[in-house]
Amino acid sequence: MSETLSQLGKYAEEAGTKVTSLRKNESTVEVSQDRLKAFLAHLVNDVHVRHLMTITGLDLGQTLAVIYNFSLERDTIHVRTLVPKAKPVAASICDIVPGAVLYEMELHDMFGIEFVGNPLKDQKLLPPEEWPADLPPPLLKTTKADQIRRRLGLEAAKP
Amino acid sequence: MSTPPNQQRREESAGLMEYSTESLVPFGPIHPALKEPEYFKLVLEGERIVKVIPRIGYVHRGLEKAAESRPWVQNMYMFERTCGICSFVHSLCYGQAVEELTLYQVPRRAKYIRTIIAEMERIHSHLLWVGLMGHWAGFDTLFMWVWNDREVVLDLVEAISGNRVHKSMNAFCGVRRDMPENMEDRIVERMKFLTDRARYYRDVIDTEETMLKRTENIGRVSADTAEKLCAVGPMARYVGLKRDVRLNDPYAAYDEVPLDVITTTQGDVHALLRLRLDELVASANMVTYAVKNLPDGPIRVKIPPIIPAGEHSSHCEAPRGEIFYFVKSSGGRTPERVKSRQPTMANLPTALELLKGQTLADIPVVLTAIDPCFGCMDRMSFYDTETNRSWTWSGEELRQYGINYYFPERSKKQHGLTKGDGPLTNRCLRDGF
Repeated sequence: MSETLSQLGKYAEEAGTKVTSLRKNESTVEVSQDRLKAFLAHLVNDVHVRHLMTITGLDLGQTLAVIYNFSLERDTIHVRTLVPKAKPVAASICDIVPGAVLYEMELHDMFGIEFVGNPLKDQKLLPPEEWPADLPPPLLKTTKADQIRRRLGLEAAKP
Repeated sequence: MSTPPNQQRREESAGLMEYSTESLVPFGPIHPALKEPEYFKLVLEGERIVKVIPRIGYVHRGLEKAAESRPWVQNMYMFERTCGICSFVHSLCYGQAVEELTLYQVPRRAKYIRTIIAEMERIHSHLLWVGLMGHWAGFDTLFMWVWNDREVVLDLVEAISGNRVHKSMNAFCGVRRDMPENMEDRIVERMKFLTDRARYYRDVIDTEETMLKRTENIGRVSADTAEKLCAVGPMARYVGLKRDVRLNDPYAAYDEVPLDVITTTQGDVHALLRLRLDELVASANMVTYAVKNLPDGPIRVKIPPIIPAGEHSSHCEAPRGEIFYFVKSSGGRTPERVKSRQPTMANLPTALELLKGQTLADIPVVLTAIDPCFGCMDRMSFYDTETNRSWTWSGEELRQYGINYYFPERSKKQHGLTKGDGPLTNRCLRDGF
């Protein structure tokens, strides 16, 4: 086990969780929403895992998973947290990792998760200007591609 | 039904126009087939940029959603179409993520062939970028020379894969085509030629006044800021961060092929030019080594169409920087979720930081510096806080403005703009923008 991971294990214990090794050089930590920011602050400032590759969203049915994909040299670390689908609100990590701003906007556009504290959260980044306000976010499993096509008036584009 | 799109656009334009008595006409339609459009709202104070608000997604095609309803194999060739320049590395990265979910190993010969194609792709992408840099800086001779040399490497790629851009070389656990016989000498000779050309271009950019004037001391950012904003690829390396996936987490044959990671601490657009040309030489050396030491053996292992359940991520070094794929399988014929992140997305926050404090004339050069595919400059709206005016320029008008600003003696006939004849906005008024 590398030094990074052993340090990480210590902070994970503080956050009431543990590091699970997926395979060589790749591990995952599942942290609850309220402890996430404290854990990430340790990760970035103390363990010096400073490169956030991206933030991945997953639709798990009743909940949404938000996975922060970090990397440090050979190690890839996924920090995973769950957000209820009924109330998709999460804290922004832009104050810890300023590079997260566009990834959070992307997740907001694609999964409808609101990131409280994101400086650009009221702006659209990816969906078209004519995206209807009542159409559910596109990457939820309940939103079908046909539904999006129909509402955007793209039936003609379908072969 | 919500507000019709046209009405919504009119309302948005009205919002911009309330500061101005002139009408704002967005110039130029967006050409998704030819260019990658991005839209930046720039707030100016006289000539200086104070704030930049990005709006991307004009060519968002919903690939991640589409992947969820397509078979695993089909997705590989769909993700290859993410980019029209660095196509191979996308299928490679997606393929690696899926391969990790299976128990099959990639044959060593296939790994070498993947490395060769990936490095040739880097060479052609970097040459394309150097040419564009010359174009936007007003040095079109460089553009024509470099793009002519780019044909050399594209011909090689075509000879190996049958295609110039969308190579479709990758398959799960291998490659689809073997290296043609008797190619070794030809590849080695062409790589030598490209190395010589790259060295020559380095001399050109170091001595040619046009390039020096347009690129030196422009687009500076500190290493700390770039690290905090999670910059990747050349945008991280030009400020001295040793961020390269080929070095940090080797994939394909990068653990066997000698790798030369170039970093610089000069930290301006000129350093980026040098860095990319040096990387080109390094890539040419890697191709030469890989071709000379190509191992024998099979090129592919056939795998069943159903991928076991699980999650895996993979990252690769594309010409523009790290790309990232996350794949989740539930054990079916289609993926449960595929996430892909491209380097321009990761470099955009850094690019916005670079633009702050630059003059209007530097925008084409600075935006091209992150290598975002050239169309990003089309359709920009400007807002001058001193005179409360806003207007829109096309990329070509902006390019001409930049050239005239630095070289007022040139191309007066093409355009009425000259440097230093009154405030910028007056000029725009006079020229009818």
